[in-house]
Amino acid sequence: MGIDGILQEGFVTTTADQLINYVRTGSMWPMSFGLACCAIEMIHAGCSRYDLDRFGIVFRPSPRQSDVMVVAGTLTNKMAPAMRKVYDQMAEPRWVVSMGSCANGGGYYHYAYSVVRGCDRIVPVDIYVPGCPPTAEALIYGLIQLQNKIRRTSTIAR
Amino acid sequence: MSAKLEALSQNLQQCLGDRVKSLKLAFGEVTLEVAAADYFSVMQSLRDEPDLAFEELIDLCGVDYSAYGNEAREGLRFAAVSHLLSISKNWRLRVRCFAPDDDFPSLPSVTSIWNSVNWFEREAFDLFGIVFPGHDDLRRILTDYGFIGHPFRKDFPISGYVEMRYDPEQQRVIYQPVTIEPREITPRIVREATYGNAENA
Repeated sequence: MGIDGILQEGFVTTTADQLINYVRTGSMWPMSFGLACCAIEMIHAGCSRYDLDRFGIVFRPSPRQSDVMVVAGTLTNKMAPAMRKVYDQMAEPRWVVSMGSCANGGGYYHYAYSVVRGCDRIVPVDIYVPGCPPTAEALIYGLIQLQNKIRRTSTIAR
Repeated sequence: MSAKLEALSQNLQQCLGDRVKSLKLAFGEVTLEVAAADYFSVMQSLRDEPDLAFEELIDLCGVDYSAYGNEAREGLRFAAVSHLLSISKNWRLRVRCFAPDDDFPSLPSVTSIWNSVNWFEREAFDLFGIVFPGHDDLRRILTDYGFIGHPFRKDFPISGYVEMRYDPEQQRVIYQPVTIEPREITPRIVREATYGNAENA
């Protein structure tokens, strides 16, 4: 933010885009959509050792309160309509992080009869985090990449 | 094998008599095979006879024998295999019963004997299509609502017939025919039959 010269007057100048993106990246509340073992790593990332709270990332139990959906695990055919429904209930702007091989492209279950071959067939995905399961660090790296992606967007010109 | 399993085998022969189709003792485990007509009464006896006293059913699963051993095979295709445990006697038993009709496999439900078999029979119905008359809630348990076919049958393709995607026009998740190619699963490394055989070393 541009603080040169005017700060001692008690003002801070910035652009609306920068302010909005600062707020958005500083409080990404994910809808925790834990489906399999990836959910355990997501919980590791959220607990005290890695502590997603320090990024302003607080897991929410309701899609109405969330900005980000972390699809953590194998998305089965039976679960897919429920996940789409949850995604539809999220308020815009919303982002999706696909976590792990199964959510990225079916992974181990790519040829199975009961698994969706990637959750991008159901919802639009912003960040793919590879791994089986990705470590908590990898998930945090993915979320930081999502922050970078959000910072690139300009809200007014959309 | 141990004296305990010998005693169990003897008790089974005594209590069940000619309802025993075959009784095998291998790897420290007893396997009892019964005919479908005797299946329910045998299961009732296994629980109620004081010399057997199988109070608990651990598991029931379906088996498709159509490709068993990778060779042509005579006999019936589907079987239900149960594992029983007697807590008071501290012994276990495996019961196998082949379902009579390959096109419409059916075995009497044992839910009235052990409540725990309820979901196992639903699972065997879901995955193998074995019907259990007498079951009061025989629905699919694992596969998707409206799923067609029985995926653990050997003639069910591993990738199934349909796959799922979101349709932006209908604004909902839909099924469409499978788009991926079947996977080549022939092993790339073919070893001679005697590989690792100590006699040839």
